[in-house]
Amino acid sequence: MTTLLHRRYTASSLRALVNDAPRERATLTDDHRRSLTARFRAVASSEHRRLDAWLVERAGQPSGPFNWSPVTARRLIGNAASRRSVARTDLSLGAAVDDEINDQLLRVTSGYARGGSLAYWLSGISGPVRGLVVAEAINWASSTLEAARHLDVAWTVAPSDAYYDVAAARTTLRGRRDLIVGPPDAPAIVRLRSGAPGKSAGPGLRVDLTIEALTNPEGRAPSRIIGLWPDAGVSLAVDGTMDDLRAGARDLVRTAVAQRRQRMVLAA
Amino acid sequence: MTTTTARSPHSVVEALRGERAARPRVDTTSAAGLRGELEDGLFQVLGTITKSEPITVRASSLRQAHHTTDLALSRTGLLRGMLVSQLLRLMSVGVVVVEHAFNDAVDTLRCEGRSLDLLEHLGQLDNEERARLATDVTAHAVTLSRSMGDVPRHWSPRTAVPATQRLSGGRVVLRDVVDLVIGSSGGDVASIVLFDLTTSPLGEGAERVLRYHALVHTLKTSIVPLRSAMFSTATGELWTRDVDFEMLMRSVHEVLGVVEELGGVA
Repeated sequence: MTTLLHRRYTASSLRALVNDAPRERATLTDDHRRSLTARFRAVASSEHRRLDAWLVERAGQPSGPFNWSPVTARRLIGNAASRRSVARTDLSLGAAVDDEINDQLLRVTSGYARGGSLAYWLSGISGPVRGLVVAEAINWASSTLEAARHLDVAWTVAPSDAYYDVAAARTTLRGRRDLIVGPPDAPAIVRLRSGAPGKSAGPGLRVDLTIEALTNPEGRAPSRIIGLWPDAGVSLAVDGTMDDLRAGARDLVRTAVAQRRQRMVLAA
Repeated sequence: MTTTTARSPHSVVEALRGERAARPRVDTTSAAGLRGELEDGLFQVLGTITKSEPITVRASSLRQAHHTTDLALSRTGLLRGMLVSQLLRLMSVGVVVVEHAFNDAVDTLRCEGRSLDLLEHLGQLDNEERARLATDVTAHAVTLSRSMGDVPRHWSPRTAVPATQRLSGGRVVLRDVVDLVIGSSGGDVASIVLFDLTTSPLGEGAERVLRYHALVHTLKTSIVPLRSAMFSTATGELWTRDVDFEMLMRSVHEVLGVVEELGGVA
């Protein structure tokens, strides 16, 4: 049976979700990985597939070409600024965001930025749009750090999202994570989202849980994955159980199948 | 409680900060009671009827009576308000905006990718209407920049902060966007200030909106904010209200009134 906890997002409820997370974690074995790989290989794809919780929540429906904007850039810059702000307590969040953007621009001037990258986009925007990027990134970083300050256990801002490349299946899985909390041997993952959770928010969390376990070298799942929706004041959580891992893997494969069907219809 | 200060504050930011020593303890217990009152009231208004679409309450639903027409809610009025809100976002992160206020605001609104209908309306304006709007927005920007003062960077100002609250099993949705939120929910004393901007003169509707912002924020975070404020760039007037339980209860009744008007059965 899968798990899904629904709470109001308050300091005490978030603390309880982290502190009461089950200590026993499910582990994915090599057999599990091989089985998942075989299923993805069975869903042929002419191009490289990238799957994440967002795509699963939309049942594989494509959401149009990706464009950088202040909203799409805020998480990347906001989380990087949060890390800076945690490392240097004398730095205000605004200054941390400015430093991060300046570092990105430095990559462009030194020739390290690829076309289409965030740094490249930042180098071409006007002053007012850059101001909007700063405003959005501060919003994001404030929400992340506000959540972290509610906790009474050790936490870090995640250095990056979790990526897992499924061998010989032309498939990359991406799991979102914003905060890693609790002891290193049984961490919980916190993920922030804007807006309000929809009906498929639970499957989305399970997908992130599964990808998180796949990226762990020993296949160990996090003790709990917690989704925060600060705009709605709601938090949802999924435990790191084997049933939840299976459900997450199943949803990923189903999404790959749905995506393939949609492409076939479009081609026809 | 509304505080009367001995001297007039020099800037909006100073007024929002207020007297630090006079801040009350943070209230984390009222939210549950307010939610209960709302749920009970909504059951009385809506009964057991389930509609296909939820009733959505916004700040604009409280601003005006439904049988009147507010010119500020015309498409050009909304566009002007949206553009001035963009300028507030820029000012709060230290960008100087007055020189090319209109162009900067349009630039950011386009880049944001929201309010596509308003951008379409902007595209349909002829040269004269566009020039009038540009002059109007610049005038509002001048009033805002003269009155606002510098927002300290360590306040981590959050701009255009959205909120959604589903009530009565999803039959009613409260939606809100606060132009500027400052302060932190951590600590023993209340410090969160909600600041809203309007390009219309302040009136009775503005008071209801102040209360609505405070109510939705309380329901969202379970923490009662310190104060709710509204600034009019049309008149340069600033209203600030310290948030208390009585004010929030009043807003609960106003929301119930709007729901009744929009689709209740009672």
